[in-house]
Amino acid sequence: MSAEAADQQVKLVSSDNVEILTERKVAERSMLIKNMIEDLGAPGEEPIPIMNVSEAVLRKVLEWCTHHKNDPAPTQDDDADSRKKTTDIDDWDQKFMQVDQEMLFEIILAANYMDIKALLDVGCKTVANMIKGKSPEEIRKTFNIQNDFTPEEEEQIRRENEWAEDR
Amino acid sequence: MSKAAAQGPPAMPTSKDDINGTWRFLEWGVDRIMFNLKDGVDLKTYMSLYTSIHNFCTAQKAVGNTQTNTLNSNHRGAHLLGEELYHRLNNYLKEHLAGVHSEMVKHSDEALLTYYIDQWKRYTTAGTFNNHLFKYLNRHWVKREMDEGKKDIFDIYTLHLVRWKEDMFGTTQNAVMDAVLRLVEKQRNGETIEQSKVKQVVDSFVALGIDDTDSTKTNLEVYRQYFEKPFIDATSKYYENESQAFLAENSVVDYMKKAERRLDEEKERVPLYLLPEIMQPLMKCCETSLIQKHCNLMRDEFQVLLNNDREEDMARMYKLLSRIPEGLDPLRTKFEHHVRTAGQEAVNKVADQGDSLDPKAYVDALLEVHTQYAALVQTAFTGESEFVRSLDNACREYVNRNRVCEKNSARSPELLAKHADNVLKRSTKATEDDDMEKLLNQVMTVFKYIEDKDVFQKFYSRTLAKRLVNGTSASGDAETSMISKLKDASGFEYTNKLQRMFQDMQTSKDLNGNYEDWVKSTFDSEDRKDGVDAYYQILGTGFWPLQPANTSFIPPNTIVKTYERFQNFYNSKHGGRKLTWLWHLCKGEMRANYVKMNKVPYTFQVSTYQMAILLLFNDSDTVSYDDIASTTALAKETLDPSIGIMLKAKVITAVPEGAPNQSGTSYTLNYGFKNKKIKVNLNVAIKAEQKQEAEDTHKTIEEDRKMLMQSAIVRIMKSRKTMKHQELVSETIQQIKNRFSPKVSDIKKCIDILIEKEYLERQDDGNLGYLA
Repeated sequence: MSAEAADQQVKLVSSDNVEILTERKVAERSMLIKNMIEDLGAPGEEPIPIMNVSEAVLRKVLEWCTHHKNDPAPTQDDDADSRKKTTDIDDWDQKFMQVDQEMLFEIILAANYMDIKALLDVGCKTVANMIKGKSPEEIRKTFNIQNDFTPEEEEQIRRENEWAEDR
Repeated sequence: MSKAAAQGPPAMPTSKDDINGTWRFLEWGVDRIMFNLKDGVDLKTYMSLYTSIHNFCTAQKAVGNTQTNTLNSNHRGAHLLGEELYHRLNNYLKEHLAGVHSEMVKHSDEALLTYYIDQWKRYTTAGTFNNHLFKYLNRHWVKREMDEGKKDIFDIYTLHLVRWKEDMFGTTQNAVMDAVLRLVEKQRNGETIEQSKVKQVVDSFVALGIDDTDSTKTNLEVYRQYFEKPFIDATSKYYENESQAFLAENSVVDYMKKAERRLDEEKERVPLYLLPEIMQPLMKCCETSLIQKHCNLMRDEFQVLLNNDREEDMARMYKLLSRIPEGLDPLRTKFEHHVRTAGQEAVNKVADQGDSLDPKAYVDALLEVHTQYAALVQTAFTGESEFVRSLDNACREYVNRNRVCEKNSARSPELLAKHADNVLKRSTKATEDDDMEKLLNQVMTVFKYIEDKDVFQKFYSRTLAKRLVNGTSASGDAETSMISKLKDASGFEYTNKLQRMFQDMQTSKDLNGNYEDWVKSTFDSEDRKDGVDAYYQILGTGFWPLQPANTSFIPPNTIVKTYERFQNFYNSKHGGRKLTWLWHLCKGEMRANYVKMNKVPYTFQVSTYQMAILLLFNDSDTVSYDDIASTTALAKETLDPSIGIMLKAKVITAVPEGAPNQSGTSYTLNYGFKNKKIKVNLNVAIKAEQKQEAEDTHKTIEEDRKMLMQSAIVRIMKSRKTMKHQELVSETIQQIKNRFSPKVSDIKKCIDILIEKEYLERQDDGNLGYLA
């Protein structure tokens, strides 16, 4: 990307029709937007519809992208090891993720939709940390999940996973 | 075909899991991308297409099908949607390509190429678009399928390529390749072509090389099979035909120019529109059809080129034949043979002079051939080491085996040593230092090829001894330079004696100085008048190749007094050393007080023998032959020529006039002697003596060789203790071959001698043993 391209502004439109102006460099943290610009050329004044993301979530996502705009682009191969094995999240991201559960899931969905891998990871790790060390019952409570297993099913699952239990 | 362009877009599907609705919308979009990309796709459409795929893939309800066996599927993790979209796209591409294919077969040749390339470009560009639009499918469903090891599922772009390869490539590539080859042939025939077309076809073939084991990678298999192979085959055929036709009407020399040009052209062709990988097979195929197939014809021409000194053409032939394996061997053989013959012919030209062969003419003849072909090796054969070796082999042959050496193989080293003597001897023409160095280097050039280096050593040391004793060296620096060259070439031992001779000369100089001081301090001036002014050279017996005179001699009294004085002095310094006087090498000057030129007396330069004879005339003007013979005790063979020179110079005259040198003849001093020069040299070497010397030298060589072989054998046996006969012989040859090439029969004789002398013994097992 040339210096000129980096300074360009792009206009994003949320699902509830709010226009948000942001740096092209920030927006291109999203592979969706990056690929689109690659295919169609710089959009200039034309707004880019981000059809599945509301204004509130989009702003939150862009906040994250702005903070991370200078991160090195992830290479194709390095995802396997470092990313998956740790649930560590850096301080800024941890603070960033201190939002209500609904927003958290919205961010994850948006990151998935917009193809922002790093943000998707942070979101999923946050959820993983919420699950870590909790019993099924506690987890159900945390995420407000109804137990739809029959007792027989539950027993079968326990038997099958017996080997993994802490004793 | 552009059905979508006319219609407006269908509505974006509202229901997430509606496959038909979703696909209808997508098909419209993909159609636009396939056919109407140049009109552009707006942001909204782009995002709608992406979003509809996203929405379809994230639809919750679609799990429906698998809900019956909930447990197992839940177990495997979330079910990913998208299969349906993938297959629909796959079918779409199949249909699409069927359309393209039916259009393509209507074209042929260049039009086909143009069509193929256009379609390829359009299709692959659309492929990259679609790949981005279907990114969500790629990221989830496709990735999962591939992770699970499904070989027939590809990311969307690769799917485009796979479809092209299967639905287009298989049935069209032959025609496309034919068109490409025809295009290249046109270019080879000198026409201008659109090279970029070939380049694009190459690129498309490369892109289609999808790796079977990992579809995210490409390999060159498709390119190799469908492009490289037919390309190489066509090239071979083209050049085979061309070269055959060309050779039928043109000379080999012209053909080589053509082949060289063709090879360059093909090499330049690669970076223009081919893959660098083709360079090696392409070059090999060209080399085969342009060189290998005609190499015998070229080799036959080589002799002609050699005979006519066609340097440039030979260089060209060298370059061409060096490209094929073992291409040069026959050339080297021919070259070697040619140089050998040329050398022998050059020698033949000078050989007619027989025994009086001028050493310089001989050496020049040897050098001329070497210089000429050494230059050829450098210019035409790039100094290649194998050719250098052929040259060396040929030179060694003609230097050691030619008409001059026919009867006596030692003639070459002898003549070379004589030539070296002439170069190093003081002559009327002063030689510049640079020229001298050049001449010495030439001697060394020939020396390198001489096999009987011991013969050269012998003759060289004799001539060196003479130059030193007679003080006839042109330059001391040149002498040392030559010895150090010989040392570099053949080692310290080879030149050891030569260097000792130099030392002796220096020691003698110091000694004479000391002697003069001693004389001054020991005798008063009256006493000193008795003696003769003299200069003494003390030469170590072992180092100098000098032989005692073959005549008896009684030196005159004056000389005896002088040398006895010196002997006293010498013995006082070095007790126990015996001085032998080599009268035949001594010389002196006598002043003739009885004849003068313009009041200045003549001076005669004479040998000691002549001095003894002339001194007799101090007592009487006439002396008889018998008196001379008895007083000097000289043998007739030495006496007669010594007198002869003086008769010829008219210093003395025979009585009766013209009488032969024999008993009864007398000689009188010629008071009327006249000469143009004030110094008259009567000390002229005697022809017969010179020839005798050369013969003696040859004789001693045989003796020396025996000693050399015997000492080598003893040295070897001393370290090995026991050895097989055969091994000993070959080891011995190894050790002395840089001096001369010993004959096996001679070595055997030496072994027998050593057994007789009880240095060695034959052991029971047949081996030879060393007796300490």
